Amino acid sequence: MDPGLLAQHVFNGLMLGVIYALVAVGFTLFFGVMDVIKFSHGDVVMLGAFTALAVAAGLTGMGVTSHPLMLLGMLVVALGLMAVVGALLARLLVLPLRGAPAINVLLITLMAGTVIREGVRLFYPQGSNPKPFPRLLPGGTVEIGSFTLRHDSAILFVIGVAAIVGVHLTLARTRLGLAIRAVAQDPETASAMGIPFTATVLATFAIGSALAALAGVVNGLYYSEISFNLGLLLGAIGFSAAVVGGLGNVYGAILGGFLFAALQTIGAVALPFASAYKDVFAFAAVIVLMALRPAGLLAERSAERV
Amino acid sequence: MKSASLSVALIIALAGLPVQAKDTVRIAFIGPLTGGVSANGLGGRNSADLAVRLRNADAKTPYTYELVVLDDECKPNVGVQVATKAAADNGIVAGVTHYCSTVAMAAVEVYRKFGLPVVVWGAVLPDITYASDYKEVHRVNGTMINQNEAAARFMTGLKFKRWAVIHDTTDYGKGHNKYFSEDLAKSGGQILGTFGVTADQQDFSAELTKIKELKPEVIYFAGLTPIGVRIRSQMDKLGVKAVFQGTSGIVSDAFIEGLGPLAEGVVAFREGAPAEKLPGGRVFLDAYTKQKYPDDPEAYGPFAFAATTLVMDAIDKVGPDRKKVRAELNRTRDYDSIVGKITFDDHRQNAVPLITKFVVQDGKWLVWEDSDYASGKRALVKK
Amino acid sequence: MIAPVWPALVALLVSTAGVLGLLLAEQQWAVIAIVIAAGVAMLMATRMGWDDRIRRSGGTHARTVSGVAVALVIGMTFVLREHNFALLMLCTVLLTIVAGLGLTIQFGHAGVVNFAGAAFFGIGAYAAAVLANKTALPHPLVILAGGACAALIGSVLVLPLLRTRGHYAALITIAFGILFKTFLEVNDALGGPQGLKVPGFVLFGHAFNDPIAIDDETEWSFYLAYAGLSLVIAAAAYVLVRRLERSWIGLAFDAVRLDETAAAAFGVNVAAWKIAAFSIGNFLIGLAGAAYAMMTGFVAPTSFTFGDSLILVSIVILGGLGNALGLVPAALIVVLLPEKLQVIQEYRFLLFALLVIVILLVRPGGLLPRPMRDYSAGESR
Repeated sequence: MDPGLLAQHVFNGLMLGVIYALVAVGFTLFFGVMDVIKFSHGDVVMLGAFTALAVAAGLTGMGVTSHPLMLLGMLVVALGLMAVVGALLARLLVLPLRGAPAINVLLITLMAGTVIREGVRLFYPQGSNPKPFPRLLPGGTVEIGSFTLRHDSAILFVIGVAAIVGVHLTLARTRLGLAIRAVAQDPETASAMGIPFTATVLATFAIGSALAALAGVVNGLYYSEISFNLGLLLGAIGFSAAVVGGLGNVYGAILGGFLFAALQTIGAVALPFASAYKDVFAFAAVIVLMALRPAGLLAERSAERV
Repeated sequence: MKSASLSVALIIALAGLPVQAKDTVRIAFIGPLTGGVSANGLGGRNSADLAVRLRNADAKTPYTYELVVLDDECKPNVGVQVATKAAADNGIVAGVTHYCSTVAMAAVEVYRKFGLPVVVWGAVLPDITYASDYKEVHRVNGTMINQNEAAARFMTGLKFKRWAVIHDTTDYGKGHNKYFSEDLAKSGGQILGTFGVTADQQDFSAELTKIKELKPEVIYFAGLTPIGVRIRSQMDKLGVKAVFQGTSGIVSDAFIEGLGPLAEGVVAFREGAPAEKLPGGRVFLDAYTKQKYPDDPEAYGPFAFAATTLVMDAIDKVGPDRKKVRAELNRTRDYDSIVGKITFDDHRQNAVPLITKFVVQDGKWLVWEDSDYASGKRALVKK
Repeated sequence: MIAPVWPALVALLVSTAGVLGLLLAEQQWAVIAIVIAAGVAMLMATRMGWDDRIRRSGGTHARTVSGVAVALVIGMTFVLREHNFALLMLCTVLLTIVAGLGLTIQFGHAGVVNFAGAAFFGIGAYAAAVLANKTALPHPLVILAGGACAALIGSVLVLPLLRTRGHYAALITIAFGILFKTFLEVNDALGGPQGLKVPGFVLFGHAFNDPIAIDDETEWSFYLAYAGLSLVIAAAAYVLVRRLERSWIGLAFDAVRLDETAAAAFGVNVAAWKIAAFSIGNFLIGLAGAAYAMMTGFVAPTSFTFGDSLILVSIVILGGLGNALGLVPAALIVVLLPEKLQVIQEYRFLLFALLVIVILLVRPGGLLPRPMRDYSAGESR
């Protein structure tokens, strides 16, 4: 294969991986502190993207034309609002179901996701159609042979990686990170040590949901288009990536995200037969992978073993 | 004397216009109102609703109509359910049904079983009318065969030779791919590669990078608006320079709204003349705007409107009796509608003679012949 | 003290009347009234302790109560004999309950997760389509073969499922479900995305798809025959699941679910019981799929998506994980209610989702949580 095209495929895969990783980290954070799967996560990604879009429309209406300013406004509002939404979902739906089987949380968040999705479809103006997302980043390109790198894609890649590094630093270096890790490992002991359980859980959900909003904005800027049902598939893939990587392990989620992107790209590019089978290939690979590494690639350290 | 005749006239007028005494006739509308393609379903629903409102506002008609709206979710099992609901209800005289082909395929059996005459308003799979010979099933919109034959001939006529095909793996995309590939081979075009994608796919960079390597002149896309928008937009991102050719599934306002300036120069084909080109079309669009529906009529709204009007005309003529309505619909010939003359063939398929070629110019779907592209002022391929 | 039989009978009568009303309700207000009444009844039952009395009375007089329940459902189908649509919905609810029973054995009893319910339902449906189209196999056997195929194909997943647990196992079934649907779509051997037609059920020369002519005037719905078929399957599946639950097999399932390590330590063969639960469950799901396909006459991949699998899981959770009886109200809510909400058209899923959230907040353990094992009450077995 032409090295330029190979580079193109690699970059496509990396960019996809960053988006998946941002979503997967949220899943794994929630699982860490509460041992639950929050199925509305993909729809929070979508809601974040639509919030940013509404802010962009509002700012344009107010006469703001500066792209950096608009971008800043979109990010601040979308991330902030989704953090609140995430904490609210945790407070209203996840924490009240603590005593019930963990799988009931799955159903209630699934329904919450449906409410968000249907709400956007019905109440956002013309919400059932795909929406163009404003192109706010410089649109120039660098062409090296047949490799086309757009400036905006490169910037988005850097933003995504920076966010992931930021999460790592928060978890590893801050008091909040210490609290999250402590609650994830053992809620009772953490409470006994004076770590406020509820506040930590809410903070975790806020961080994870803000990351989802960022994923939504990056997704919108990268594809220049968003639609009300983009969260469905993104949620399923994010969940898969988090599990393949090893639930509860942030690095596993990141690895899982990139692995999933790689599988899809390879499935579409390298398979000798029609590319329509690429999902069959990707999910079959997931099944085999799970059979080989039953607790994920980077298993939780405290995994229960027989 | 004068006043006496006036009062007589008034009495006659009152007796002749028993407004309250009009019977109510129920007809069903079925389409996808929720889920991924709901935009088309809502547009069709609004258009059918508009037809009913206009009819009811007309004092001269014999019946008042009530539209029973049902959501098939674009799923065959739900389709069978709602089709049974409509067909088993003897109060419902006829139906205007289905946008999704698989749903229509499953539901025609139900209409057959219960003898409910229906007019399909948006599903394009040929088999819906041609695989069986059910007298209950009619269709006003054309099939994908008509569309692709014209598309292949027209595009090869423009001296294009090398295609890459992207189709979604639903019946819509796969069917279009099949017919277009056959017709293109006949017209002398060449297909360099075919890529199947799922209807909810977000990222097409892998497929498009591969297509970039093949260097086609045209990318033929068989699928609906949402992923059409994504593919066109990602072509730009990856620097894939080819003409984007679509099917009836992307001839929608949402396609242009979703892409902005990137939609320029996209070509697509649809059966029937565009609404604004028809004598009644302008009236339809104006009336639609006046009702302030929150959603656009979309590409098949005019067909839903025409189908509903056709059904109501048949009922007005022969009365609310399923068998008579069926016979009346079967007989339809040279019926004037906003989508052109409707004539049903021996399988009750409207023989749509006209395939309209569309191109996007300055943010609008224009008929090819009226565009700067046809007159040579602009070119699909930038030099 | 022996609990009296009447609380269970009253509960049965009231719920049957409610279901019948819901099936026949056409007007918006009637649907809303019934839903509100059911909600109030549920709340009252919990507050006043009626639910406990009903449970004890049902447990003590299990045979009588089941007999009456079957009789009531038969009576209900008879009342509906000319209502095609209501009967179709009744059949759909019954077959969904059968699929839910399959998931109950897997999820609720043995703790084997399965997020590919719709895929196994689809395997049964496609098996029925192929066998009924291509072979002369008698149709009752076709339906059994649908179940067998689901169990057989499910065994592909046994190895990875045995190695994993919890959410990891969930991912395997999710991947399988998505893979199954995509494969059906891209591969044309089984009709591709267009799907396949399925011939109607024929038993001893009687075609179920023909209406039942009583005399020149009256014609009974052909769905009446399917309602009978669905009821037979549902009753058999229910009896099977309850028997298993109360037997030593059910005890083994519970042990495996609650603590694999402890179960293994006491000599319970964890792997064998997991395989058994998974296969029996898939068999029931496939059975329901096969019957459903023959009733609706059409199968296509879009009916068997991940979303449909989640709907099946929702029924099991909403009913109360592990309680077979809870499936009845849950299936009614998940299958019948969205249909009855057709009047609000595009807003119906929004309302439906909100309703499920409210139910779960009020009853976090589901509508009828699984009661503790109680060997003291009930007839001897």
